[in-house]
Formats: sequence, C-alpha cells, structure tokens
Amino acid sequence: MSLNSSSITQADVAPKQPLLRLDAVGKTFGTHVVLEDIDLSLAAGEVVAIIGPSGSGKSTLLRCINQLEPPTTGRVTIGDTTIEAGHTPTRRELMVLRRSIGMVFQSFNLFPHLTVLRNVSLAQERVMGRTREQADAVSMQLLARVGLADKAQQFPSRCSGGQQQRIAIARALALDPQIMLFDEPTSALDPELGLEVLSVMRELAEGGMTMIVVTHEMRFAENVSDRVIIMADGRIVEQGPSGTVMRNPQTERAQRFLHAVKDR
Amino acid sequence: MNDLVDFWLEHLPAMLDGLMVSVQVTGVSLAIGVPLGLLLALAVQSRSKPMRGIAIVVVEVGRGAPALILLQFTYFGLPNAGLSLDSFSSAVIALAWCTGAYTSEIIRAGLEAVPHGQKEAAEAIGLNHLDALRYVILPQALRVSVPALLGFSILMLQASSLCFAIALPELVSQAYLIGSTTFRYMPILVLAGLLYAAICIPATIAVSALERKLGAHA
Amino acid sequence: MTQDMLLTMVSGVPWTIALTAVALLIGVVLGIPLCAMRMSKLVVLRMVANTLILTLRAIPPIVWLFFIFFGLDTGYVSLNPFQAAAIGLGLITAANMAEIYRGAMSAIHSGQSEASMALGLSTYHRFFDVLGPQLFRVALPSAASYAIGLLKDSAIASTIGVHEIAFEASHVSQRTFRGLDVYAVAGLLYILLSLPIAWASRWADLHLRARVAR
Repeated sequence: MSLNSSSITQADVAPKQPLLRLDAVGKTFGTHVVLEDIDLSLAAGEVVAIIGPSGSGKSTLLRCINQLEPPTTGRVTIGDTTIEAGHTPTRRELMVLRRSIGMVFQSFNLFPHLTVLRNVSLAQERVMGRTREQADAVSMQLLARVGLADKAQQFPSRCSGGQQQRIAIARALALDPQIMLFDEPTSALDPELGLEVLSVMRELAEGGMTMIVVTHEMRFAENVSDRVIIMADGRIVEQGPSGTVMRNPQTERAQRFLHAVKDR
Repeated sequence: MNDLVDFWLEHLPAMLDGLMVSVQVTGVSLAIGVPLGLLLALAVQSRSKPMRGIAIVVVEVGRGAPALILLQFTYFGLPNAGLSLDSFSSAVIALAWCTGAYTSEIIRAGLEAVPHGQKEAAEAIGLNHLDALRYVILPQALRVSVPALLGFSILMLQASSLCFAIALPELVSQAYLIGSTTFRYMPILVLAGLLYAAICIPATIAVSALERKLGAHA
Repeated sequence: MTQDMLLTMVSGVPWTIALTAVALLIGVVLGIPLCAMRMSKLVVLRMVANTLILTLRAIPPIVWLFFIFFGLDTGYVSLNPFQAAAIGLGLITAANMAEIYRGAMSAIHSGQSEASMALGLSTYHRFFDVLGPQLFRVALPSAASYAIGLLKDSAIASTIGVHEIAFEASHVSQRTFRGLDVYAVAGLLYILLSLPIAWASRWADLHLRARVAR
C-alpha cells in the first residue's frame, strides 16, 4: 500500500516541532507501577498504533496524555502547553489540552439521555461558544462524514454498537482536535461492526489526522499506522515503522507478543 | 349506615380543608426540601472539608431524629432562640429539613448510578465541572432517582400528619377536633384514613408501575 | 438543662426501646404469613394480602394509633396506650416486613430453588436449609434500616400518652418553657439509640457474608 511507504519516510525524518511530546511519563497507583519512563513524540499527521498484552499500560498511557489520569512523573507537552506531573493543571491548561485532543473510548460513553445530534453539539456550545444552530450544522456535517446523518434525531440506545462508536468519533471530532486518541475502539464490538469503525478511522488517517490508536487489531496496526509501539509491563519495549516492527521485531519481548497474537 | 354517611357528609368540608392544608404543607416542604437534598448530595461529595462536615451533620440529624421531634424543635424550641414562627412555617422548616436529609441520600445513590465513563467522556470533550454536572451527570442521576423521590413524597404526605402535634389545622387535627366535640372518634378517624388512602394507594400503585417500566428499560 | 430535666427525659428511654422491640417482634412474626399470602397461588389470598399491605402503609401511623386507642375504645375492648401503640406500630411493621421478605425472595436466584428441588429436598428442607439462611442474610440490611425507622416512629406514641422519650420531652418542655435544648437532647437520644442497631446490623452483615456467600 502506497500509504505505508510514504509514511515510513515521514517517520524517519525527525520532526522539528512535534505536536505532542511525552518526557519520562510515569504512573503509579499506590505501590503498583503502571507506566514507567515513557518518552514519545508525535509529528503532525502521524498515525501511531500502540499494541501489547493486556495490563501493559496502553490505556493508562492514553489517559495520561489528556490528563484523565494525571501522570505521577514526567511532563506532557502539546503545542505550547506543558503540563508537569505533580502539580494540578490550571483550568486553562486543561481546556487547551482537552480542546486539542479528542478521545474515543472502548465503551463509547455516549450520553444516553441526549439525541445523537445533541451528543455531538454539546461541547461545541459549552466549550467553543458556538450557537445551537452553528453547532447543529457542524454536527450534521460530521455525522454525514461518519455515515450517520439519518440517525441525528435518534437516541444512542437505538443505534448499533458500531454506529454508536462512529457517533463517538463524530463527537470527538466536533472540537476540531489536533490529535485523536482511540482507546481500543473496536474491542467492545462484534468483528463485523468493528469493521465499519475501522474504515472510518482509516479515512481519518488518510485525511491527515494525527492519531494514537490503542488496539488489538493487528491488520490495522500494520496497514494503516505509520509507526507501531509495543508495550509490556508499563514500558515501551519496541517501536518503529509499522512494517518493520510487525514483520521483523528486534526485542525478545516483542517477538514473543507478536508470535502469540499471530498464531491465532 | 345512613347515619354514618350523614355524619361524614356533615364534616366532609372541614376534613377537606384539613386535607388541603396537609397537601399544601407537604408540597411546600418538598419544593424546598428536594433542591436542598440536591445541594446536600453535592456538598457531601465536595472536596471542601468544612462544607462536607456541615452537610453530613445536617443530613445525619435530619435522618436520625424523629420528624415529630424536628417539628417540636422548630415550633416550641426556636422561640427560645428569639425566632417565633407560626405552625405552618415551623412545619415547612422541619419537614423540608427532613426531606433534604432523605432525598440527599436518594440523589446520591442516583449520582453513583451514573457510570464513571460518562464523567470521563464529559471531561474528555472539555466540559468544565459545572457543565458536566448540569448537562451530563445530573439529568441521568435525577432520572434514576425519580421513582424513589416520588415514593418519598407519598411518605411525606403521611408525615405531615405529625403537624397535629404543633396545632397545624391539617387532616388529623381536624379529625381529632371533630372527634373531641362529637365524641365519635371512630367514624371520623375512618374518614381521615380513607382520605389518606384515596391519595396514597393510587399514588403507590402508580409509582411501582413507573419503577417497573423504568426498570425494564435499563 | 438541669440534671433533673435530663433524668426525666432519659426515663423515657426504656419505654422507647420496649415499644420498638415489641412492635418489631409483632411485625417480624406477622410479616411471614402476610408475605406467604402475598406470594400465594390463590388469587383471593393475594388480593387480601395486597389490600392489607397497601392500606396499612397508606394511612399515617398517627391515624392508626388514634384509631386503635380512641376508636376501638367503645367499651368492649380497652387498651392502655402502650398496648395500642404496640399493636398499631406492629401491624404497620408487619406490612413493611412482608414487602422486605418478598424483595429478599426475589433477590435469591430461582436456580437455588430449582437446584434444591432437583436434589429431591423436601419443601421443609428447601426452605430451612437452602432458602431461609440466604433470605435472612439478604433481608437483614433492609430490616435493620426499617428497625431504625421504627425507633423514630415510636415517638408518635407520645401523642396517645406512652411515656417514652418524646412524651417526656414535651412534658419537660411544657413545665420549664424551654424547647430548644430539650428537643435537641431528645433528638440526640434517638440518634444515640439508633447507633447500636446500625452497628449490630453491619457486624451481622459482615459475619453472615463470610458464612453465606452470595
């Protein structure tokens, strides 16, 4: 796939101004170390897949990036905003962060008491200060983009899991984020429904969106992402261009994981 | 039998006046008490220690002391502190306190029933704490709390009968008054019971139907 | 608040405890047949039980107590205030206990009953060896919080002259023209009395949970 070869070169050229940077980020719950010493930088337009066994800290890493879980050590920089671990970020900093980062959850977390349209519009009104009409107009475009314009007036409970996750993607896109985080977006879905979510994600990636995707979908990691990160026991054990890492992993831990996954 | 019906018809207007007072005192107490319960539910979860402390004391005393004692405290006690209130105002203060204390627990359970992912999703799309509460958490929490709040409202109408002790002319006071002048306690108390039952039994059946309907949806 | 006033109010404590205990006992026992009727296969029994439960719960306790104390006192039966209050509160408790038992029954998985029948246990053993212990464990928390509610409702008995805490409090208050501290202390006494019930319930709950796994 042509997308792959072009993006390898993009990843090889060190970006001058990364969009997102993590320096020595760590997270402990009590005495339990979940993340240790994570360094990561992400250039605009890059698509990174994070894979690894469950309990390896993949989801916690995503949640540390947008401060749903405040990291215990290190620092997260996005654009001009840096958030150091240890002191609580100001409202303003959090606002900048949350507006620049969209997040899609494993369990969708749509608001069940609001229509699909209101789900997508709510933050535009309350966070961006758009009027109801402006917000609804943008929401309709976004819903059309994920193929669900006809569901606008329905409640989420009337939609299939795959549709709900696509609505959740539209909701996250509504704030015009610079980066999208996906936390195992297809894990709660039947394989068939997962496919429609993956195709929306693939279109986003091709449209130049910067994305970090925690996933168990190895095909997606290999074919759509530019870079693959393999995590185990709270650390990054291997990372590099997706083709190289997936087909020819260097470290023993990464080999063991990929071996186990591919043997299925 | 005719005699009984005549007796009831003769005193029905006075009894209905009493019922009206019962309904009014219950309605006003709920109108003040339920919002108070919401505030208390939020204050109990607040990060500020003094606020949490005050809220817990208000809730625990409101739930721990009998409603009758709260009524007598506001009616006979507050005048000692230089605050003399008529029986209606005293009743509203005591019953609203009681309502606030109980409904704060109901609403707290509703807040806890909202999945954690809802709060996270609200945070992730950049809503501030107040907006998350207002647009995402509370609408869902209150919806869960509705059957319990309605059930509690029925109990509150019954509790308003305790205002008899502070000379509020509600249904039981009226019945007692009529009983003591006619010496026919039995029939007038039966009428009072029937009037309560006429409101509370259909209301109870409706609330449990609503509960089943909401339960089936969840 | 003088020592004398305090002592007078504390003298109501045994009556409050006695009234709560007797009413609870009546309710816990009478609640069983009422619940059985409520869940019976016979429509008539179910309707009678349902009507009884609804009526007992729909009419305020104070009306029941007045009805039993003043209304029934027609020369044939004469009840003293304590008896009237214990019967009234006991009947109301029975209706509520029946509902608590029923809730507990439905909380126990139907598989338990099916499994005991499949094992060929008799109705007696099915109830006393399998369902009963679980029922007790599931019903205990609601029963305990009802008991605390009953303790507070027992204050209503002061209106027909049972010499319990609320009665002594209003007596002291009328005699001394003091209300603020008198009723505050009375409220505190009820709160103090409810603490042991709450502790006992929590303790029993923990111990039973260890023995009767859910």
